[in-house]
Amino acid sequence: MKKFDWILFTLLLCLLIYGVLAIYSASTSRVGQEFHTGNYYLKQIFWILISLLAMYLLYKTPYSLLEILILPTYIITMIMLVVVIFLPEINGSHRWIPLGIMNFQPSELAKLISILLIAKLISTPYITGTKIVLRSFSVMTIPAVLILLEPDLGTALTIVISTFAILAVSELPIIYILLILSPFISIATSFSVFIFLFFILILIYLLYRHNLSKLLLGFTTAINVFFFFITPVIWNGLKEYQQNRILSFLDPLRDPFGAGYQMIQARIAIGSGGSLGKGILLGTQKNMNFLPEHHTDFIFSVIGEEFGFFGCMILLLIYFLFLLRMVKCVMNLKRKEYRYATVGILAYLTFQIFVNVGMNIGIVPTTGIPLPFVSYGGSNLLINVLAVGFVLKFMNERSIFK
Amino acid sequence: MYKPINLRYLQYIIVALFLILTFSLFKLQIIEGKKYNSIAENNIVRIKSVLPVRGEIFDRKFRPIALNRSSLNIYVTPGQIEDKNKLIEFISTNFEISAESIRQALYENRFRLYQEILLVQNVEYESLVKVLESFNYYPSLSYKTEAIRQYAYPNHFTGYLGRINEAEYKEHKEDGYTINSFLGKSGVEKYYEEILRGQNGYRIIQVDASGQDLHLFKHNLDQSAEDGADLILTIDNDLQGFINSIFPEKMKGAVVVMDTQTGGILAYVSYPEFDQNIFSENISNADWNAILNNPDKPMLDRNIHGAYPPGSIFKPVIASLGLESAIIDRDTKLASCSGGMQVGDRYFKCWWEKGHGSLNVTDAIKVSCDVFFYDLSLKFNLAQINDFCKKCLVTTKNGIDLPGERTGFFPTREWYIENYGKYAPIIGLKVNLAIGQGEVLVTPLQMCAYYAALANDGKWYRPHLLEKSIAGNKTKMNEVESIDFPMSASNLALIKEALWKVINEKYGTGTAASVAGLDVYGKTGSAENHMGNETHSWFAGFAQNDNFSVACVVFVENAGHGGSISAPIAGRIFQYYHEQSK
Repeated sequence: MKKFDWILFTLLLCLLIYGVLAIYSASTSRVGQEFHTGNYYLKQIFWILISLLAMYLLYKTPYSLLEILILPTYIITMIMLVVVIFLPEINGSHRWIPLGIMNFQPSELAKLISILLIAKLISTPYITGTKIVLRSFSVMTIPAVLILLEPDLGTALTIVISTFAILAVSELPIIYILLILSPFISIATSFSVFIFLFFILILIYLLYRHNLSKLLLGFTTAINVFFFFITPVIWNGLKEYQQNRILSFLDPLRDPFGAGYQMIQARIAIGSGGSLGKGILLGTQKNMNFLPEHHTDFIFSVIGEEFGFFGCMILLLIYFLFLLRMVKCVMNLKRKEYRYATVGILAYLTFQIFVNVGMNIGIVPTTGIPLPFVSYGGSNLLINVLAVGFVLKFMNERSIFK
Repeated sequence: MYKPINLRYLQYIIVALFLILTFSLFKLQIIEGKKYNSIAENNIVRIKSVLPVRGEIFDRKFRPIALNRSSLNIYVTPGQIEDKNKLIEFISTNFEISAESIRQALYENRFRLYQEILLVQNVEYESLVKVLESFNYYPSLSYKTEAIRQYAYPNHFTGYLGRINEAEYKEHKEDGYTINSFLGKSGVEKYYEEILRGQNGYRIIQVDASGQDLHLFKHNLDQSAEDGADLILTIDNDLQGFINSIFPEKMKGAVVVMDTQTGGILAYVSYPEFDQNIFSENISNADWNAILNNPDKPMLDRNIHGAYPPGSIFKPVIASLGLESAIIDRDTKLASCSGGMQVGDRYFKCWWEKGHGSLNVTDAIKVSCDVFFYDLSLKFNLAQINDFCKKCLVTTKNGIDLPGERTGFFPTREWYIENYGKYAPIIGLKVNLAIGQGEVLVTPLQMCAYYAALANDGKWYRPHLLEKSIAGNKTKMNEVESIDFPMSASNLALIKEALWKVINEKYGTGTAASVAGLDVYGKTGSAENHMGNETHSWFAGFAQNDNFSVACVVFVENAGHGGSISAPIAGRIFQYYHEQSK
């Protein structure tokens, strides 16, 4: 029995329509009694139609055929990621390949194709934990490093987070993920001896309880202590401007000419929206020159200002239902490959929504991540819709393998 | 096999994340909404640029050429406009700007609602005071006292400042330009834009209505502006003024005077003159179009933006090549001039119909005999001449510190074949080139630099206007490079001797340029051209004594003979400079 998941699809459409409305408003300004609107919303509608068409084609293609294409597409994408670094920079980074009518962003394709490839490679039967880690990390590391070079921290992080989410639901014992992550936690806690000691004791206890070998236990502890001591040394070895750059990333308010200014202006815009907002098209902060990205990364600031707390809640509610529906899909999917891929997609969408809204309201550092389905943007929209297309496809094909 | 974690955890994580967002939004919009609303309404938090003072421009004796002067400017903030039509009417009736211009400015800035847009500059104090009270009815209007540029006299080297356009704004906004900025559009103002402009400073304003600090930014990062550097040019205002006063009225042309020992330009004149001060007023579109469409092209800098056939002032180049390649020496006499010469199936006339007879090189230059140079040209190929021209920098860019310099032109064999076909009569064309006619084109500046180098024993200095720049108490001299001509000292002396004869001996074509008590050297030229029936009148030369050595080129478009029009002007310039330097 084949079945199309209408609920997921309808929620997707709601998000897309909400996005067009927000973009229309974000690119409108008022002088006296006259309104002027840029044509971004028309372009967005055009891209939505293209994306839905692509999704339809994907839906009609047998997955067995798509499966063959995953590895070649991954390789081509990696080549594009190398090429893009040598292209002239656009807006201060090497992210885009200019294709005439649009700038294509290979990193967008990279995150989807990496998830699909990891899901495929680690779903073979009787796979060992070591193999899971090796395969998923090698697939993840290449695009993550290349994208970091562009530089595009946000997208690189998205790939890493998705990989860990897949590992978390895979057959790899969760304790191993903790092992992998522990050095990073040690770095983060190195500013305080007490917190570090607290963490290391919990770690040792957990490792002990899971009956891991004494050798591994000793090794992990040594590594973590090493990181704890080396971090301050490296930090003090950095030049002042390098330190400042890291501090400004963690706390944008230190940097009034860059991210901090944008963040404060976004907060002012959203905060001034109050409970019901100023009304569609009537926002005043959006036309201030300091939020140049107000139809892309800072679209949420326009939503917050014009639609208020009420409008924001409606959007968050649609997102919430959408993501929960995807969780339900994960639970229903029995084939491992499908389930891993869906978890990966779920993780990256959740991560991007949280980080984008978070940076607009000033609780997360600014990383330049667009709001999925709502922000203006061609390749980003296309890939996100295709990702949902894959989930719909998995749901459709699941019955065959039941 | 290890049992995977319960998938329900995924739900918990999502719920937790959305709870965080909801609480943060609730705090921001519901609890603190009022506070942010007032910040937004009063537009309190902003970074204000502190603009640097643009550097001023002076002549070699510190006399002003371009200064800043204060100006009352009116600004509009499009987002605060209540009634657009009423506003347009109010401004256009009270200030010198058309309703159409205002409408256009508002349209161009329709997406910049909360920026002040410069609408009218340099308004009269009286006309502002008269309507100042009415400003209360138009909250979108404001005025400021700012600096605008004033030029001491019309000229073609300082260029002018103009309002930034959309394309320039896109390109330069990272450098601190705003949509109201002015930047150098031509001349020295453009070439030295970066050092004239200085660096923006910033002030972060974050106070509420009662003047209390909002503490949105934790660090005070205000930064003061760094003013632009003043420029001291090599120009001599007196000499510049003198040339302006003697240049024949209603004529078009150019005069450039250069210190041969430094390459510094002492005077730089192009006619018709063009007063760049109009850009500091609110020039109407009609006036602007009248300037642009004027057939005399007053904005054209004829010293470097025009390239013309040089005529006989080109002959020393060809003579030098003959001497350097040892085809002729001081005594070699070439084909006898009988008022012309037969080359192939064509007869080439000399300008002196009665004929000069057989001449050596110095006499040929002195009387400007064409036949001598026709004959000489037959002994080279085009590539040799072209190569020599490049080495003497007469048909390459001279690299003066002004934008848009033209290269000049000397044809090659390939160029002829491409443009005139496979059977182009290259020998006949080459004969013509030898007397500076035909396709060869030079700028007056290139000729001046060339003659300056002849005066300077073959050492060519890059022509330049900037002597030094002064920023604060730091003075930076302009380093100028030099190039040696591929000519021996004896050949240089020979050419110099010929140029001396032109001015100082009987039958010399340039005797009108002679100055008592001063050694003047030079060459006249009368170049036929496509622009009119009269020839372009040229004089190129230099004057030397123990104290100074200056080169001068006088070029007058379609004015007649070099000896009768340009040479006397050059003579008066040399005489003036001589008297001034006593």
